[in-house]
Amino acid sequence: MSAFLQYVVNGLTSGAFIALVALGYTMIYGVIRLINFAHGDVLMVGSFIGYEVVVWLVAQHWPIALVVLLALLAGMAFTGGLGMAIERVAYHPLLNSSRLAILISALGVSLALEQAAQLIFGAGFSAYPSVLPTAGFSFAGAHASYVQVGMFGLSLLLMLGLWLFVTRTMAGTAMRALAMDKDAATLMGINVPRTILLTFMLGSVLAGASGVMQGMYYTEINFFMGFLIGLRAFTAAVLGGIGNIPGAMVAGLLIGLIGSFSDGYISSSWSDAIIFAVLIAVLVFKPTGLFGERVAERV
Amino acid sequence: MKLVGSRTAATAILAAVALTTAACGSSASSGGSPGNQGSQGAILIGVPVPLSGEYASAGTDILHGAQLAAKDINAKGGVDGRKIQIVSQDDACQASTGSQAAQKLISQGIVAAAGGYCSTAAFPELQAFHRMGIPYVMDASTNPQLTEQHFAEAFRTIGRDDEQGPIAASFITGFLHGKRVAVGNDNSTYAKGLADATVSALQQDGAQVVFNNALTPGQSDYTSFLTKIGQSKPEVFYYTGYYPEFGLLLKEAKQLGLKFTMMGGDANNDPTLIKTAGSAASGAMMTTAPLAQFLSSAKGYVDAYQSAYGTSPGPYSTYEYDAVGVVAQAIKAAHSTTPGKITAALKSISYQGISGDFHFDSAGDRKPANYIIITVKGDSFAPYKQYDNATKQWTNVS
Repeated sequence: MSAFLQYVVNGLTSGAFIALVALGYTMIYGVIRLINFAHGDVLMVGSFIGYEVVVWLVAQHWPIALVVLLALLAGMAFTGGLGMAIERVAYHPLLNSSRLAILISALGVSLALEQAAQLIFGAGFSAYPSVLPTAGFSFAGAHASYVQVGMFGLSLLLMLGLWLFVTRTMAGTAMRALAMDKDAATLMGINVPRTILLTFMLGSVLAGASGVMQGMYYTEINFFMGFLIGLRAFTAAVLGGIGNIPGAMVAGLLIGLIGSFSDGYISSSWSDAIIFAVLIAVLVFKPTGLFGERVAERV
Repeated sequence: MKLVGSRTAATAILAAVALTTAACGSSASSGGSPGNQGSQGAILIGVPVPLSGEYASAGTDILHGAQLAAKDINAKGGVDGRKIQIVSQDDACQASTGSQAAQKLISQGIVAAAGGYCSTAAFPELQAFHRMGIPYVMDASTNPQLTEQHFAEAFRTIGRDDEQGPIAASFITGFLHGKRVAVGNDNSTYAKGLADATVSALQQDGAQVVFNNALTPGQSDYTSFLTKIGQSKPEVFYYTGYYPEFGLLLKEAKQLGLKFTMMGGDANNDPTLIKTAGSAASGAMMTTAPLAQFLSSAKGYVDAYQSAYGTSPGPYSTYEYDAVGVVAQAIKAAHSTTPGKITAALKSISYQGISGDFHFDSAGDRKPANYIIITVKGDSFAPYKQYDNATKQWTNVS
C-alpha cells in the first residue's frame, strides 16, 4: 500500500510538469491545427535560461526565494518571446500553405533550437546548483518533499491561471472562437494574427515554466531534454483530446501516473512502450481523446 | 568504455596545436629517420589514436603518455643502445580510418603498436597488425571481444568490461557484506554486459540478487524505479549505466529517504555526477580502473605530465605509458626487434608499471585485473579500497 501511494506521489509530480507542456501543444493545435514539434525544445531553452540566471544569482549570493522567482520569470519571459518569434519567422508565412509545409517547418525549428543550444550551452549535461531544500515529510509510508508539493501547487496555479484567462477574458474568448472556426472568427472582427501570436506566447511561457521547474527539481539538463518530455506531453495532449485545454491538464497527470505505475509494477524500460501504446489505442478507439467531444472534427 | 560527451571545436584546435608542437619535439629529440629499420636507427613504435573528431583530446592525452614513456626510456639509454621513437596516426575513432591508420603505421616500419582508444577502431587495427604479425598493446579499449579472438598479437594494459563485474561482486559481498543486492542497468550493450557479469558473480559469491532490471536512459524522473528497488529491500544497489542517470538516482533516492548503499560502474567517474547529485553524491562508490592521480606509483608521471603539457594526464595515458614501457621491456628481453619475437617476449613478461604490476594471460589480457573502488568525498572523487591479492583483503588504496 505504501508503495502504491509513493507511485501516485511520484506520478503526480512528473505528471504536473508534463501537463504544463501538453497545454502548449493543445492550445497551438487548437488555433492553427499544427503539432508544434519545436515545443519541447522551447522548454529546453527555458530550462537553460533559468540555469544561467540561477548560476549567476547564486554566485551573487542573492536570497534563494528571489533566485527561484527571478529564474522562473526570466525563463518564462524568454520562452514567451521565443515562442512569438518562432511563430512569426517559421509558421506565420506558411499559415495558408499546405499542412505538410508548416509541419516540416516545425521540425526544422526543433532541430535549429537543439543544435543552437548544443553550440551555446555545450553537448554535455549541465546541473542546476542545488538551491532548493531537500526536506520532506512522510505520510502512510510514502515520502514527499516540500519542494515537490510546491512544484505541484505552482503547476496547478499556472494551469488555473490559464483556465481563467481562456474563459474569463476577451483575448481568451477570441482564442476559443478562433479554435472553433477561423473564418467565422475573422468575420466577427477578431484579430487572428494577434490571437495566434498570443497563443504561442502563452503556450511557450508554460513550457518555459515547466523547463525551469524541472531544472530546479531534477537539476540535470541538456540540449536534448525537450525531445522525450515533448513526446510524453504530446501523448498527453492527444489523450486529453487535442485542442481541449482541461483535457490536456487531466491527461498530463494521467500520463505521469501511467509512467510511474509502469516503472513500479512492470519495468522502467517498458514505460515508454506502454505510454505510446496508450497513444495508439486512443488514436484507434477514441480519436477525439478521453474528453474529446468539445472540439468538433473539422477538415 | 564508451565515453559520453564531446569536445568543442576550440579544444580540437588546441589539441591539434599541442600535438604539432609535441610531434616536432619528439622527432627532434630522437634524431632517427622514420622508416629506418637498420640496427643503428631508432626503434619505431606505432600509436594509433583519435587525433580528430569528438575524442581528439582523449587521443592526444594518450599520445602524450606514449611520448613521455619514450622520453623516459631514451633518457635511460634506450633499448639495447637504440632509441625508441613514437610514430602516431589518427584513427578518428572510426573503423575505416583505423584500418588505414594501421596500414600507414605498418608501412612506416613499426616493430610494435601501443595505443588505441575506441574499441570500434581497435578491431580493424588489430586485424591489420595481426596479418603482419605485429604485436598491439592496447591501453584503453575494454571490449572483451578484442582479446577473445585469440590473436597472438593482442595485448592490453587495461581491464576488460567483464572483469569489472566479479570485482564489484567481491567488494559488495566481501567488504560491504551485502546479502541482498539490487542491480540496475540502462540496456546499453556495455551496461547490460556489466550487469549480467555482476549478477552471476554475486550469485556465485552467495548473495541474493533481489532486483535486476533496466531503466530508460535520458529521463529525469526515476523515483518510481527507485521505489520499486526499495520494495525489494536491498542492502546495496549497483548501477552499471552512465553518470547522467546515476547522478539522478543518487539524488532521488535521498529525496525518497531510501537507505541502501549505492554503487556505480566505471562509466560514472565524471564530475557531472557530483554536480547533479549535490550532497546526495557524498559517499557513493564506484568501481573503476585507477586514475593516475590515485596511484602512488604514478605520482612522478603525473607531475612530469603536468609540467610537460600543463594538463592532468587524463584517464588512459597512464595505461599508454605502461603499454610503451612493456613493449620496450619485451624488445630488451627478446634481444630483437623482430615483431614475432617481441610478441613471444610479451607473452611471458612480468612488468612493473606505473599503473601497477602485471603480466598478460594467454589471451593477452592484463592480469591481475586492475579495478579499485573510489568514492565521492566533498566535491571530488577519492580512492577508497583495492583488493590485495596477497592477503585476500580489501585494503585502502596505497
